[in-house]
Amino acid sequence: MSPEKLQIALYWGAACGGCDVAVLDTNEFILDVAAAADIRLWPIAVDGKYKDVEKMQDGELDAAFYNGAVRNSENEHIARLLRQKSKILVAFGSCSHMGGIPGLANFTSKDKILDTAYLNNPSIEPGNKTVPVPETKIGDDETLDIPEFYDQVYKLDDVVDVDYYLPGCPPAPHQVKAVLLAVVKGELPPKGSVVGAADFAVCEDCKREKKEKKVTRFYRPWEIIQDPTQCLMDQGILCLGPATRSGCGVRCPDTGQGCRGCYGPLPGVVDHGAKSLSAVASIVDGKTPEEIRGILKGIPDFAAIAYRFGAPASLMKRNEKQ
Amino acid sequence: MEEVRIGVYVCNCGTNIAKVVDCDAICASLSKMPNVAVARTYKYMCSTPGQEMIVEDIRKNNLNRVVVAACSPRMHERTFRKALQTAGINPYFFEMANIREQCSWVHENEETATAKAEALTRAAILRVAHHEPLENLYADMCPSTLVLGGGIAGLSAALELAESGHPVFLVEKTDRLGGNLARVDLTAPHLYSARDLLTDRIARVRANPYVQLMLESELKSLSGFVGNFTAIVGAAKKNGDPHKEHVLEVGSVVVCTGYKEFDAGRVTHFGYGKLPNVVTSFEFEKMLREGNIRTKEGRIPEYFAIVHCVGSRSRDFHGYCSRVCCMTALKYAHEIKSAIPNSYVSDLYIDMHAFGKGHEDFYRGSSEAKTLFLMYGKNEHPVIKRAQPGEESEMLIEVNEQLSGETIEIPADMVILMVGMEARSESGDVARLVNISQDKDGWYIESHPKLDPVATTTEGIFIAGTCAAPKDIPDTVAQARAAAARILGRIAKQKIEIDAVFAEVDEDLCSGCRVCNSLCPYSAVEFDEEKKRSRVNSALCKACGACVAACPSCAIKARHFTDRQIFAQIEGVLR
Amino acid sequence: MSFEPKIVGFLCNWCSYAGADLAGTSRIQYPANVRVIRVMCSARIDPTFVLKALRDGADGVLICGCHPGDCHYTEGNYKALRRYELLKQTLCAFGIEEARVRLEWVSASEGQVFAEVVTDMTEKIRALGPSRFRVEQENASQPVHQEVTK
Repeated sequence: MSPEKLQIALYWGAACGGCDVAVLDTNEFILDVAAAADIRLWPIAVDGKYKDVEKMQDGELDAAFYNGAVRNSENEHIARLLRQKSKILVAFGSCSHMGGIPGLANFTSKDKILDTAYLNNPSIEPGNKTVPVPETKIGDDETLDIPEFYDQVYKLDDVVDVDYYLPGCPPAPHQVKAVLLAVVKGELPPKGSVVGAADFAVCEDCKREKKEKKVTRFYRPWEIIQDPTQCLMDQGILCLGPATRSGCGVRCPDTGQGCRGCYGPLPGVVDHGAKSLSAVASIVDGKTPEEIRGILKGIPDFAAIAYRFGAPASLMKRNEKQ
Repeated sequence: MEEVRIGVYVCNCGTNIAKVVDCDAICASLSKMPNVAVARTYKYMCSTPGQEMIVEDIRKNNLNRVVVAACSPRMHERTFRKALQTAGINPYFFEMANIREQCSWVHENEETATAKAEALTRAAILRVAHHEPLENLYADMCPSTLVLGGGIAGLSAALELAESGHPVFLVEKTDRLGGNLARVDLTAPHLYSARDLLTDRIARVRANPYVQLMLESELKSLSGFVGNFTAIVGAAKKNGDPHKEHVLEVGSVVVCTGYKEFDAGRVTHFGYGKLPNVVTSFEFEKMLREGNIRTKEGRIPEYFAIVHCVGSRSRDFHGYCSRVCCMTALKYAHEIKSAIPNSYVSDLYIDMHAFGKGHEDFYRGSSEAKTLFLMYGKNEHPVIKRAQPGEESEMLIEVNEQLSGETIEIPADMVILMVGMEARSESGDVARLVNISQDKDGWYIESHPKLDPVATTTEGIFIAGTCAAPKDIPDTVAQARAAAARILGRIAKQKIEIDAVFAEVDEDLCSGCRVCNSLCPYSAVEFDEEKKRSRVNSALCKACGACVAACPSCAIKARHFTDRQIFAQIEGVLR
Repeated sequence: MSFEPKIVGFLCNWCSYAGADLAGTSRIQYPANVRVIRVMCSARIDPTFVLKALRDGADGVLICGCHPGDCHYTEGNYKALRRYELLKQTLCAFGIEEARVRLEWVSASEGQVFAEVVTDMTEKIRALGPSRFRVEQENASQPVHQEVTK
């Protein structure tokens, strides 16, 4: 630990690990980071214990990067801890930004998830009745604690105050690098900003030719032979590019897949899914409810597509009925 | 940014609002809201003292926003915007809460009505804080006018405009001018000849160099906006060269497409089509015009019966009154008596509608001329049957006479069915072409039924005559000339003001995705291939907001209907 | 106190708002539960408005436009219909009962129809009970989600 070096922490909440890999994907740049900064916590790569973080002074860390959603009590505890100990808290990646893929759990319920995972699943021992609970008594005076699994998934700023949002599932390595550099140089925009992303939509960067849009049938990418020079939407392939911040480098459309929306909504948009919905429905070429429904049938589970990375960030937050 | 200072005015509208809504309580409660500088109630906000109150408050209290909770904004939004202008602030810093049409007039419970009125006013207050100053645009006014229909309405409108020295394109579907009036003999109640009314006008139209007459033609398409329409007129469907089309630049359109008569064959109980001497009013007009009233068999009839309200005022057909049939029926009684002095005329009516100037005298005259008036019930109908051989008349009509309460039988050699007016079958096509609305009966809807009866909800499109509703000749002519007067006023100004409410694209936010491009019904959204940006042509935009809602980048702003303004309103009504 | 539904109505200026005004001039009575927000066309209604209204505590949202074929802007109502169809699916995924968001065609001459729609919708939502956001809001007794208009 060296006082002139930046003190940073990286953490994963409810995450897949992809964000950490994105940091590693900055390749040799990560060595420069290690040279310029003391990495005080980074579960995937360096040693560091919660209790060490707990012992820190408030604000001792210069920056903390939290990836993953807040799904259980441990996630929340560390989120609060890092907030307390760090001058800057960055929501790193789609999950902390908007809830991410774990956030899709908000379309179902804790009970259903536990049921599928532990009780009624072909890959578990038949008759299993054991479901994890936060506290298990062992003998008379010992209890075994595991984190409490919450009813719903939260994005990071539902739980703590967040300074910056670095979107992406995962964030593109060149953007990670740029943001880390900005932190090192102290060249950060006003608090609350989305960093490492553009203020315009993916279409701006997408090289495909766009035309006036009217969709009479939606195709999954494998159902059609694509023209790689033409806009996917114009070919009936659902793409959230028009509704999504650019900055990723047009990763999905360039490989023939519609944009999945991981960089989140554009500035001024209140609800990413609602805006995507409005744009997609607007170009459906039908006039009767039956005709329209027929065309929309080509999109399986639209809600999960529109809110693939952001159900917890939506106005509706979750399905409470489940 | 300048501090927002809002003046809130809750109108009592006499007792129209105040009898259900506690206006004082609303005022007291809303005066505590942030940014509300003044809150008052007044008897009639739209009155001169009411408006002066606002003007004075704006000046004295440095108000920069105004909310009036009163009637529908469709009624007085313009009035109050003018007041703001008078006081020297932008007219769009104004919002209205509709607490009369959509509150006090439809709710009886004082408590809930007051709560609702307060919520609507609160929403207006929150909204107005986000209003932006807007300036109207101006466009050139093309002095040419397209008149659709060559009946008495179209002729009158065309003459009014052409005789003022402005070009008119008069488009008529058939091969002759005059419309339905050309099928009429005399007109009630003065018994002027329809032929005389028309021939003079038709001659003037034909002679006027400013009128380009287009017979056997119809409108194919209309694009553009008030003052700057482009019309394509081609050959009417069934005749003429389908490839010959004219592109016309016009500033205004007057729709005078008229009516068609009700098909008497739809009513089975009068025997029309089966009994040879049951005729419609128009068939009878033809006999009158030819001066030859004869039965099918060639006899001069002795007993006439006229049946009112055929297809009109009926549960089964049209609910409305066709307005001209009663007086036309009396006219027939006159004409029959003068043509066949020894004849007998029975007039079977439900109610005698003699509402116009001179009509009541005309009715009295008919009674004195010994027409037999028989009243039948609204949901009943006279039954016409063939008489037995040897009876003195050919047919007998059984009618449950309302005034005497007796069922009586009257003889008839000829029965005249007073068929009502109905919207023309192609009226929907015309409505779509010129973008105006129809009511449930197919009549065109006026901008305001009382205050703006010849304008429509589409700027620059006017309606006159019986395409808007059944009416008589004086009303038709008055409407046609009123529409012409409205157009002349605009032509005189040379410029037309275009509403400041339209959509605009922020180029910095637009990504060129082109989702919005196909949505505009007026092709106002254009794509700049160079810049790869969409943009809105503000003169073509009519502010529907379809592109705004669709834009996933929030790059298109609906002026005066911004997301932020509507969000504020949502918060206001729900708080 | 019994449950009084709060319904936000988004009405197009040319048909439905005029129809609602006509209900007024005709003095046709209907429940005071609907609060109307005027838009130029039903096509202006961003699904976000509907979600925002629900989130802010509306028990129901009523969208009214001109009848198909009679839109002042030719086809704006079809655009509203397309969005509504997709919105219904989405709301269902979030567990919002279908009856809470309704699309109706009301012309300028249908004051009676407007009154009937409001009456019927109010009764259906009354039977359904308050929306979860309203319950949350009343429990928290503070305005929810003000940040979106900042």
